[in-house]
Amino acid sequence: MSTTLFRTIQPNHFTLLTTALLRTRRTSRHISVRCQTSTTTQQSSSQQQQPRTSAPKNHGSNKLDEILKDYEAVIGIETHVQLSTSTKAFCSCPNSYGSHPNTSICPVCMGLPGALPVLSSKVVDFGVRLGLALNCSLSLKSKFDRKQYFYPDLPKGYQISQFDVPIASGGYVDVDIPLEFGGGHRRFGITRVHMEEDAGKLLHSDAGDYSQVDLNRAGVPLLEIVSEPDIRSGVEAAEYGSEMQRIVRYLGVSNGNMQEGSLRCDVNISIRPIGQAEFGTKVEIKNLNAFSAMSRAIDYEITRQALLYNQGQADQIVTETRLWDEGAQKTVTMRKKEGLADYRYFPEPDLPEVILTQEYVDSIRASLPELPEAKRRRYEAMGLGIQDVLFLANDVSVAEYFDEVIGKGADVKSAANWLMSDIAAYLKNEELSISDVKLTPQELAELIAAIKDETISGKIGKQILFELLAKGGTVQGMIKEKDLVQITDPVEIEKMIMKVISESPKQLEQYRSGKTKLQGFFTGQVMKMSKGKANPALLNKILLEKLNAKD
Amino acid sequence: MATRALLAVLSASPPRMIRIKVSTFPSSSSSSSIKFQRHITIARCFSSDTNPSVLQPPDVSRLAETARISLTPSEIEECGAKIRQVIDWFGQLQQVDVSSVEPAIRAEMEGGNLREDAPETFENRESIRASIPSFDEVYLKVPKVLNKE
Repeated sequence: MSTTLFRTIQPNHFTLLTTALLRTRRTSRHISVRCQTSTTTQQSSSQQQQPRTSAPKNHGSNKLDEILKDYEAVIGIETHVQLSTSTKAFCSCPNSYGSHPNTSICPVCMGLPGALPVLSSKVVDFGVRLGLALNCSLSLKSKFDRKQYFYPDLPKGYQISQFDVPIASGGYVDVDIPLEFGGGHRRFGITRVHMEEDAGKLLHSDAGDYSQVDLNRAGVPLLEIVSEPDIRSGVEAAEYGSEMQRIVRYLGVSNGNMQEGSLRCDVNISIRPIGQAEFGTKVEIKNLNAFSAMSRAIDYEITRQALLYNQGQADQIVTETRLWDEGAQKTVTMRKKEGLADYRYFPEPDLPEVILTQEYVDSIRASLPELPEAKRRRYEAMGLGIQDVLFLANDVSVAEYFDEVIGKGADVKSAANWLMSDIAAYLKNEELSISDVKLTPQELAELIAAIKDETISGKIGKQILFELLAKGGTVQGMIKEKDLVQITDPVEIEKMIMKVISESPKQLEQYRSGKTKLQGFFTGQVMKMSKGKANPALLNKILLEKLNAKD
Repeated sequence: MATRALLAVLSASPPRMIRIKVSTFPSSSSSSSIKFQRHITIARCFSSDTNPSVLQPPDVSRLAETARISLTPSEIEECGAKIRQVIDWFGQLQQVDVSSVEPAIRAEMEGGNLREDAPETFENRESIRASIPSFDEVYLKVPKVLNKE
């Protein structure tokens, strides 16, 4: 334990890396050879026995790589983002999650005769924002259309959407694949972004021959993002989804919570033999509640389709919608699509064109925050490793906090380390977010500076961090109040060392007769005596001198 | 996917009135500050270079089914004739040469009419709920549904 005293405050890279490795679902090929304990083959077998808190490991991960030698998966994702506006898209009913059922209703969203929709300016604003963030071209003139079908959660019998002239199209998004899945950059095309309204919520009662409808959600504004079929694996899909979530949260257009349904992803997947130009038969997968589920569903589906191909039964793959069964960890048929649905799209006669001026677009573009991709590149340029970069840029509040800390002059690497290790652990334990902590960025910068100029030791720094996080206060104040200034006077340290040595003759003898490990014991004693304030480096140096002196 | 779906849907529906024009042109609305990107716009185009009088007769039974309206056979016939008349009347527009005219998205000249994002509670929600026969205090009761359409 006493060896911790000699450790400076660094993230335990080794620990971070090995825990990441143990979570790896891919074969050991992707594991960096920086791991020193075991060979890579040992790693993959030990992976099987690790206790799992998340979903079961994909036992076919080697199988999947075999499949991917022969087949290429072609994946596109449709993402529906529920906007965090105060009102619904076409009426002024409040848009708030969790209200008592059927209380946020009015003639417009209920589709009562004579009611007319009026578009919210905020929806256009958010649409432009997201389109620009996804590097799309904006349609300065776009329109709404009616998508017509009958369903109990659709009061009007049609959904107001955008069919052939969406507000944004032809963009792309850049992502970084996490290290544990191979790392690297990818760019995925975005076909289009369009505005539409959500339907109500359908609840199925277990008993009885009826279902129940809550129309609070009917009319809530959505932005639908359709990707190009550029995605090639479950890992890429999960990262695409995460990046969509990151972007909408960065922009503030949505809270992006999959659990609440504010972010919904449907996957379209087909496979084809490598080298074949034509696409295979496409299957849609719905009911994905998490990015990890998306990844597993895709892996399962690739395997399923490849098996059919290999058995010469490729014609068994039909265009259909399948549901992801989280319990059974497989996709199951929902229904077979008998041709495409006929939605009889026509331009919504009750709504005028959506017209954007160049000035309007430019002003929104100018007000966009720094997006995740730009942040990642900037952090990389500052010299941070990709692991740190991905962590810091993942949550916009953490990134802002970090930017403030280094803005006060703190050392970049130290700031990153504190945030990623001790502060992250605290947030996780207390179930808080970075905006809740009482430690201000200014004070974290102070703490880093105080350790750097050796006013206090690293260990002391860690101790007061906890209190600063929970109760606030200033670093200087706490140093004074608790008398924490590091003891760097060699004379004082020597005094303490001599006292400890004189009080522990037995250990001294043991040390001198070869048990050099007991140095730790002496260090511990001096630290205790000094209440942790002795400068570890100096202590070490002088202690060794004294211990070895009378030899 | 949406683009391909669009083409598939439009080709699945009766091809009478709608021609798809897939063209590549710099939209007149993009300016130099937006990087020029080649994009494909699918615009409804009512100009036709086929014989304007060859319009498919309306499939009234299918129309009625998609609209969830039940018609007797004699009603179907009657309706069919009337719908045919309307279509033919509009069909006269196909004689106009609009090949040099850029397709308009909508007929009116001005857009706009946007609403502020300020919530308002509709006062008479109770009467809305009361007018729903199958409302059960909290939810609307509907027949058990499994799949969309």
